[in-house]
Amino acid sequence: MKAEYVNSFYKATKDVFNLMMDLDPQIGELKALESMKSDKETNILLGVIGDLKGEILFSFPLDMTLEMIKIMSGMEMDKIDSFASSALGEIANIIGGNATTNLTEHNYTCDILPPKVFIGKYKGSSTNNKVLQIPLMTSIGEFDINVFLTENK
Amino acid sequence: MMWKDKYKIGIERIDEQHKELFSRVSDFIKSIRSSKNWEGDMDKVKEIMEFMKEYVDIHFSDEEAYQEKINYPEIENHKQEHIKFKEIINKYLKIFEEEGFTEEKVQEFGGKLMTWLIMHVCKTDQKIGEYVKNEGGKV
Repeated sequence: MKAEYVNSFYKATKDVFNLMMDLDPQIGELKALESMKSDKETNILLGVIGDLKGEILFSFPLDMTLEMIKIMSGMEMDKIDSFASSALGEIANIIGGNATTNLTEHNYTCDILPPKVFIGKYKGSSTNNKVLQIPLMTSIGEFDINVFLTENK
Repeated sequence: MMWKDKYKIGIERIDEQHKELFSRVSDFIKSIRSSKNWEGDMDKVKEIMEFMKEYVDIHFSDEEAYQEKINYPEIENHKQEHIKFKEIINKYLKIFEEEGFTEEKVQEFGGKLMTWLIMHVCKTDQKIGEYVKNEGGKV
């Protein structure tokens, strides 16, 4: 998987977390996974179509998810209901939108599909190519961006 | 409270409107999050929805008029974001009209509204302030 794909999503995520939540995610050691899966409790899946095709999965621990919503709303949250799910989906949507803008700088024209929010561990189907996991550390917890993209030009 | 001083763009009229918008959205979220009697609190939800629809129109028009006045180069992109947001509001108004103000859909709308507003003011609106600053603050 090319560095441009990964960097576009990493940069978009870092920017959005910084702007919206005053968090500065630091990148950890990248891992290759056999399939799109996560043991973390909150997962948001974004489909990518266009010159690149595939999926992006954002995976957060529950505590971190609730803290993110608290930072934005100024209110305590104790569960992921439709308010929190919708906010998380919108965050992923914004990141995806910004990442596709970053990708146009590398001559890839892509679109993102509406986000799907999954509460609980996520297990997708196995893929022909490896999924790249980008771990990101913040002051309120550690989350992952799992990237599976192939060229479709 | 959702408002933070870092959201200011340095143009008083727009900052005041943003504060009002954040305050109303904050009240809206507080009321839908704390409702113990969904049916009973319906009037409040409807009232805020009505205000949001009207105030968003006024604020967007004002902001766009200001951008025209200062020859803001990114006005078209900015207008597109406003149009997309109005489409979201209209989509939910249609849902509420057809399905009623169900708790699930109103909560869903609240989450989207909060996230969109923060991102728009943090990123897109900040660029207006930066432009004015770069022009020497004369416009």
